[in-house]
Amino acid sequence: MDWGETFEFLWKSTGFANITWGNAVMIVLACFFLFLGIKKKFEPLLLVGIAFGMLISNLPVDNITSTPLYHPEWWTVQEVNYREVLQHGGLVDILYIGVKTSVYPCLIFLGVGAMTDFEPLLANPKSLLLGAAAQFGIYVAFFLAVCFGFTGPEAASIGIVGGADGPTAIWLTKTLAPHLLAAIAIAAYSYMALIPVIQPPLMRLMTTKKERAIVMKPTRKVTKAEKILFPIVVIIATCLFLPSVAPLLGCLMLGNLLKETGVTARLSDTAQNALMNIVTIMLSVSVGATAHFSTFLTTQTLMIVALGLLAFVFATVGGLGIGKLMCWLSKGKINPLIGSAGVSAVPMAARVSNTIGLKYKPGNYLLMHAMGPNVAGVIGSAVAAGFLMAVFS
Amino acid sequence: MGLSGGEISILDALIISVIGMLIVFAVLVILMAVVMLMGLIADKSPALAAKMPKIRFKKKKQAEEGGEAAPAELAPGTCGELVLVKTEERDAAMIMAIVADTLGTPLNELRFKSIKRVDGEDAATDKAED
Repeated sequence: MDWGETFEFLWKSTGFANITWGNAVMIVLACFFLFLGIKKKFEPLLLVGIAFGMLISNLPVDNITSTPLYHPEWWTVQEVNYREVLQHGGLVDILYIGVKTSVYPCLIFLGVGAMTDFEPLLANPKSLLLGAAAQFGIYVAFFLAVCFGFTGPEAASIGIVGGADGPTAIWLTKTLAPHLLAAIAIAAYSYMALIPVIQPPLMRLMTTKKERAIVMKPTRKVTKAEKILFPIVVIIATCLFLPSVAPLLGCLMLGNLLKETGVTARLSDTAQNALMNIVTIMLSVSVGATAHFSTFLTTQTLMIVALGLLAFVFATVGGLGIGKLMCWLSKGKINPLIGSAGVSAVPMAARVSNTIGLKYKPGNYLLMHAMGPNVAGVIGSAVAAGFLMAVFS
Repeated sequence: MGLSGGEISILDALIISVIGMLIVFAVLVILMAVVMLMGLIADKSPALAAKMPKIRFKKKKQAEEGGEAAPAELAPGTCGELVLVKTEERDAAMIMAIVADTLGTPLNELRFKSIKRVDGEDAATDKAED
């Protein structure tokens, strides 16, 4: 036995011998995102999984004694060879099938629907206008991305970050620009976590002290029949206009119907707990793993991060703008602060409106009023994504 | 439009943005109209329900005039109908049980004429007679 050759072989199979600067940078970056998720509590349920996926897919391998967990080159082609994926794929390749086929984002929406109470929206249907206005950021970022040289499908995927809705962003990007998936998912979830930092300065900039102190009247009580009818009506009305949004919005509304009917409590419970948690683990790890250094460490990623921030800013500005208009039209009965909740990040954006409202008038609880635009934003961003999907797919 | 090819001009991007924003508004405005209609119907329905006793009375009168079979007689011990206004049967049963318990009187010794929900409050008022 040649001990020298054996030790040389063993050394060559270790990560130390195979590590590149790209691996090292990504490992440091993954640890930074883990720090943000665990210590700073930035969307920990998703960011921890994403960062860990990023970590394991960037660990160096020798391709002889071990194979990569994820093969980025298999997924950025027009027609994916699923036979090869199933026969030779790593763990993350197998998990990624759920992203590529839209199963995970749709199942996440099923859980979101089962957890969402649309009562504030039904009590004040005008909230839908605020949810629509807050999609302004999507189109501004899309336009700017085209100006900066991105292709149409890439720009659409970048723009959807402004919708502040992770599953929607993943759903659109995996079809239109799969090579940008990791950067877009990380930007979307990071900015959603940063909403309490991004929105308040804009809210103070766009509203007067008097407007921020407006006390809104309590909303009317919504009947059970309305709550049951709502998901059915939404899916029919929306899909007649935009059939492309059916998978995402269909799952959202099915989840809500399971919650509201009162006869499917077990299914609703599964959708919002067990199923949601299982899918969250698989989605976050597989999306994080797509952040391979070969596709992630590019100037495009930095531009996506910058454009994503602009998307969030303009989304907030759009919501606040229409909020101010509604305040003026209603002769001061609507507090424009609820407009910023139109960016869908539920319930973070609504909480921010509530916090700012309380700061300027103690006892002025805006949470229930802000939840209306907040859930309307979920529908609005799904509609915007459906439109972009219809145009570019 | 079918722009899956990729490259688009700035003008195309501007047009897509404007159309996209209009579509989002159009779809959500339609939803708003539908939700408002649902709310309107829901608000009107208690008023319709309140008219129900009158309708029932008319039907009874019509049945007598028309020679149709009279409704079944009330069960022994029953002392008339209870009118529920904007109140679910389940809530009414609960209210009656609470009243009986609070008064310390058996439920079959109490007579409830009507239970009416007062708008703007969750509690319902009831009238009870011994």
